[in-house]
Amino acid sequence: MIENSFNRRGFLKVLGWGGATVALSGCGNTSVEDGKEFVTSYVQTADYIIPSIGTYFNSTCAQCNAGCGIMGRVREGRVLKLEGNPKSPINNGKMCGLGQAGVQAHYNPDRIREPLLRTGDKGEAITWEKALALINEKVGGVKAENVAFLTGGVSGHVKALLKNYLDALGSGHHYVYEAVAPSIMRAANKKAYGVEMPRLHLDKAKVIVSFGADFLGAWISPVHFSQQYARFRKADKGERGVLVQVESKMTLTGANADRWLAIRPGTEGILALGLINALAAAGVSVPGDVVGAVKEYTVDRVSKDTGVSAEHIGKLAALLKERSPSLIIAGSAVEGYAHGSQNATAIALLNQVLGNVGKTVEAPSSVPFPQMAPTAGNRFALQALNDNMAQDKVKVLFSYGANPVFTAPASMKLKENLKKVPFKVVFAHYMDETAVEADLVLPLNSALEDWATAMPEYIAEGAQLSIQQPLMEKLYPGTLGMGDILLALLKQRRPEEYKGYEDFYSYLRSAMVSIKGALGGANEDDDTFWDTALSRGVVKLVGAPVNISSNASAKGLVVPAPFVEDSAYPLHLIPAVSASMRDGRNANEPWLQESPDPLTTIVWDSWVEMHPKTAAKLGIVEGDIVEVASRSGAIKAQVYVFTGIHPDVISMPLGYGHEAMGRYAKGVGVNAFKILDPIFDKETGELAMHETRVKVSKAGQRVVIVKDEGPAGGNQMGRKIAVRMSSSKVNLSEEV
Amino acid sequence: MSITNLLENWSDFRQQHPSEDRPHREYKWAMSIDLDACTGCNACSVACYAENNLPVVGKEKFAHGHSHHWIRIERYWDNDGREFADQGAQFLPMLCQQCESAPCETVCPVGATNHTADGLNSQVYNRCVGSRYCNANCPYKARYFNWYDYPTTDNVWPEPMNQQLNPDVTVRGKGVMEKCTFCVQRLTVAKSNARSEGRSVLDGEVQTACQQVCPTGAISFGNLVDPSAKVGKQWKQQQVDLNKDKQAKDVTESAAKLRGYRILEELRTYPSVMYLEQLRESAI
Amino acid sequence: MGKDIREDIAWAQINKDVLKSLESPRKLYWVILFIALAMIGVAVGCEIYQYTGGMGVSNKNNSHVWGLYIATFIFWIGMSHSGTLLSAILHLMHADWRKPIYRFAEAMTTFSLMTAGLFVLVHLGRLWQVYYVMPYPNERWVWPNFQSPLVWDMFAIATYLSSSVLFLYVGMIPDLAICRDNIHAGWRKKLYTVMSLGWEGTDRQWRNFRITYLTIACFLIPLAVSVHSIVASDFAMSNMPGWHVTSFPPYFVAGALYSGCAAIITLFIILRYVFRFEEYMTLPIMKKLVRLTFAIAMVWTYLNLIEFASVWYGHDQTAKDQLIFKATGPYAPFFWAMIFFGSILPLMLAFKRIQTHLPILLVVSILLNVGMWLERWMIIAPSFAHGHYPWTWDHDQWPSLVQWGIVFGSFGWFTLLFMVFCKVFPSVSMYEVKEMVYHRSLALKHKPAVKGDY
Repeated sequence: MIENSFNRRGFLKVLGWGGATVALSGCGNTSVEDGKEFVTSYVQTADYIIPSIGTYFNSTCAQCNAGCGIMGRVREGRVLKLEGNPKSPINNGKMCGLGQAGVQAHYNPDRIREPLLRTGDKGEAITWEKALALINEKVGGVKAENVAFLTGGVSGHVKALLKNYLDALGSGHHYVYEAVAPSIMRAANKKAYGVEMPRLHLDKAKVIVSFGADFLGAWISPVHFSQQYARFRKADKGERGVLVQVESKMTLTGANADRWLAIRPGTEGILALGLINALAAAGVSVPGDVVGAVKEYTVDRVSKDTGVSAEHIGKLAALLKERSPSLIIAGSAVEGYAHGSQNATAIALLNQVLGNVGKTVEAPSSVPFPQMAPTAGNRFALQALNDNMAQDKVKVLFSYGANPVFTAPASMKLKENLKKVPFKVVFAHYMDETAVEADLVLPLNSALEDWATAMPEYIAEGAQLSIQQPLMEKLYPGTLGMGDILLALLKQRRPEEYKGYEDFYSYLRSAMVSIKGALGGANEDDDTFWDTALSRGVVKLVGAPVNISSNASAKGLVVPAPFVEDSAYPLHLIPAVSASMRDGRNANEPWLQESPDPLTTIVWDSWVEMHPKTAAKLGIVEGDIVEVASRSGAIKAQVYVFTGIHPDVISMPLGYGHEAMGRYAKGVGVNAFKILDPIFDKETGELAMHETRVKVSKAGQRVVIVKDEGPAGGNQMGRKIAVRMSSSKVNLSEEV
Repeated sequence: MSITNLLENWSDFRQQHPSEDRPHREYKWAMSIDLDACTGCNACSVACYAENNLPVVGKEKFAHGHSHHWIRIERYWDNDGREFADQGAQFLPMLCQQCESAPCETVCPVGATNHTADGLNSQVYNRCVGSRYCNANCPYKARYFNWYDYPTTDNVWPEPMNQQLNPDVTVRGKGVMEKCTFCVQRLTVAKSNARSEGRSVLDGEVQTACQQVCPTGAISFGNLVDPSAKVGKQWKQQQVDLNKDKQAKDVTESAAKLRGYRILEELRTYPSVMYLEQLRESAI
Repeated sequence: MGKDIREDIAWAQINKDVLKSLESPRKLYWVILFIALAMIGVAVGCEIYQYTGGMGVSNKNNSHVWGLYIATFIFWIGMSHSGTLLSAILHLMHADWRKPIYRFAEAMTTFSLMTAGLFVLVHLGRLWQVYYVMPYPNERWVWPNFQSPLVWDMFAIATYLSSSVLFLYVGMIPDLAICRDNIHAGWRKKLYTVMSLGWEGTDRQWRNFRITYLTIACFLIPLAVSVHSIVASDFAMSNMPGWHVTSFPPYFVAGALYSGCAAIITLFIILRYVFRFEEYMTLPIMKKLVRLTFAIAMVWTYLNLIEFASVWYGHDQTAKDQLIFKATGPYAPFFWAMIFFGSILPLMLAFKRIQTHLPILLVVSILLNVGMWLERWMIIAPSFAHGHYPWTWDHDQWPSLVQWGIVFGSFGWFTLLFMVFCKVFPSVSMYEVKEMVYHRSLALKHKPAVKGDY
């Protein structure tokens, strides 16, 4: 061993010098002595708090609606880092980058710190008492039907309180809006399976054919799906699952597929029906009416319509026939068209023909407390609200968890209609585009300093209530939690009912404790139940099983022929939902801005993805600034050329192009929401996100794209760096 | 430490890596990354920013190549002129490979980067003078230099963002080289806990930040000396030997079914990170 | 071919001519001095900006961690070799034509080393901690890393610098005595008195002087060779493609001698004009110098081709890719400029008429050094741009004005030191020129005209 003889003499020497230095630097007042800062005593703290040792507290991630359990590392009263909560069955201790950035939402320097009231063009800081009194006054001055509450997806006790408040007002309208939610798929699922959100068991499938579902990136519950995906790829029996991704623009999931099939936009349903036809021809038992309905979808025709080669259609059908169970997933690329519902139904039919329903597509459990069950948002809600605003039917508007001014297409003229609303209250973390338009801005606690519960819409088995508890003291005294605000508003309306609750915490605790029997704490005293629930972060709910049905039928199923050429607007615009930017609500978190897009490696900007063929035809090279013009507007962005996109398609990421919100989001990229054409799904009335046709023209400038990949691009230049082999050569069951 | 000590223990001071006759005593930290499980989602990279106080440099500095991502996701395509990237991409998380025979260590003029007894390639920020020779000699270019003073003049962590900084990790000022440490702050705590209980760190007791976050569990990390550690079993099963620059897979035909390899192994850096090849189905 | 020097110059005339250079140079001297100061000002400004802002302002990055500073560092180290070549090697070889020009060549050695040393400081990210590179006793027993070529550099350059200063000084002692004896008051008198160490020109002093001078010369030659070999090791010992080349040490030494000789031609012409040294820095000497330069240029070319050939026919595909990149990529113009200036242009020197045509030589010698500077840059930048790891390749990096400003200013710094030296100390060795004249006249069986007080 290496001896370390740091002897007494050496020690005294160091001590002498060190002591002298300390003595010197000690001269003069510190900020504590000046009274600018306070010393926090660790003499009387809970015994689990030890200075310099991190303590973990469980909570729930609020970065997206998946509801992953998180575990915050707290040290000296500060939350430092989030880890996944291993006890949460959604994410089992894992997380995504978006979730990691939750601390940056919390510590964000651009958070609003006190209520702001608009007087003319200026904002003025006011007290909460004044703000709440103002709301009371305004709400009292209008009819209940003229009060509108716009929110994102909500669940749990906040949702229950919100409903109570709207009830207390009479009957205010609640619009639940999510800009990028899979709402057409929900409706199609409801028809086909009897449930909106069936449970997809990726890990049980031997083949997954995903029609544009980015389940590894931004679709529904990516961390959960990623874990299932890992088991799918490396099954216990050693049989590696095969993933085929069919889409017009490569998603992160597509980049991980064994075969990525570029398909002409909107023809996903045709391919699904063609596959059914091919399966029937190959001897798979298909109901007679279905056979009749699909018989015109011959391989040749489907290949011609979709652009997928006959060889691949044949191989895919063979694979699906051979390896069962499989799983067919309809993602956002399927539902983004005016015939999105038909597309989704065709794909559900394929699942049914393959016998996957009940095997890999299973029913969810029912949720025991419907008042807390998640209300999934959709885009139709915003159209309804917008129409009402346009007709002056909205006098008081509340907005929470949504940024409609940013996410609404320009053709909706939402900003103009918003001006018709006399009093707009926005609950916000940042001065985002909607908050800027508000009359009253109420600053919210961050998710890491707030109390709430959430009931995730998607969970593998059963149901659960996730608890969001503060991981530290509030950063700013002037912010308030949504639960607290709703409680205060309710106290204005129903003082008797709510006067017993000092704050949302006491409400939440008593509400939870009162149903502890249903929450698995029947045999525990209140404190034990509550403490256990908090320390676990999740409470399991016993839900009743729901039957899944195989109702998808070929009857009335018409998948329209592929798009006709449009010489004025020859290209399709696919607004891409990236894993970190999504609909843009997290754009002010710098880790996400600097985290390269997985496919293009671009940071801090928007881009236009384009196939080399298209680029060559238009005379465009990488870095050219182009104008992307639809019938509803035009935006400019840099072009990135790569082969992960169909030549008929260009794609731009959503979430960029904020005009407000904060220092990291503002002015970064362009907002692709703005140029979406007002084309709607025929069955649900939802905005068809992929229907917009555009033309692309060079704007004259050329820039060097800021991205992580170098001049070699994705080329390994013959070096052995990332290596790939055929799965048939490996026996995964031998591996550790 | 004295001259006598220096002379008596000379061989300890000049221990070479790797060396068969002097195996690691208690710990040899190593990693394996399954490229078939890695989806390229970037969660590891963001987790690393959170854990290790990495500065966000902004668009302009990113454009100039000043980014600090200790673990970066590289994305490769098949470059054979095919019309579509129809086999998807190949994602590769690249981090400091913690080489046993690290090219960076020998060239540092001041010994700011050197090998620990645990087989880590450590970086001593206080000692670093910023000659950047280590980066010049790193074949993986996994080292990142503080080109600007991010904490102060650049104000990368404006109030209250600075409250998120991990107190266990130094915030680096300008002129210092930095890189992935295998989350040495976590290793230190785990080792100290284990020592106070008179045992070694158990497998799974300590995770790196990237490993902990990875949604598909593509990253395994542990102690190669510990026979029960998963990572050691993986290395063994894949017949990847820390001390060799050519593995069974490269030599024996029967080992062609193995997936384990190390990047740029032929340079004899003896990396501590093993990658498992990505797989693609040939039936479709 | 004319005479290297007239045999009939009186010794007193030599003293007079040389001492005059300490007093009244042409006006151009002051112009040069002023320009040099302005250039230094630019560099100091750039360095302050870089020091306060961080190394990032120089536009280096994680792919290009080294830039012009290291390239120019090698350039200046290379320049220093010519002094040793002229004064030590040619001294041992009894080539007496070196005598009128070796003094300033030696000064050039010293000052270019001092310039090179500055680049170490400018390059470091934390220059305030540069002393970590030196071994000094400390409580924690922390030493520099003796494996690192940069530490070898530190030792080699420190040794070379101190030896060069010593060599320059020792060789100057008899001349300092002449200065002392010809000046009667003022700071110069004090300076020369102290520095001439009581030189009286006694037989014993001359004997000791000769032995000392010869000893240092012998010591300096292997040192000079080793210094540039060690600088070459900075690259050859690394694993970067394009650097990992066994022939780098001789290649660097040849390059060093080459650029040094070219610099001597440049300074020869300038000094000859500025200080009116036409009698001593004669065209026949220039001719010899030019021929020497030509020979070294060809050696350098040969070693360059060897390097390319060994890479081309070797098995290291990465190094080969690197070479192809150098010749065809974004650095190609600089690469081919280097080949042109370094290997093609010197062919001009083979023509007799050019060998004594001073204006052409001035231009050519400067261009040769441009070529040699490009050589150093072409060793550094392309390897960083196109190394082992394609993902981190960076073909677009271009040094910022801060880097260029400091490189630019380093020439001012060198010029300042050199010009001040020439004004304070005799830049032509009086006693050796006298020896030369004496030996030449003996050879002509002439009695020299011994005059003056020496």
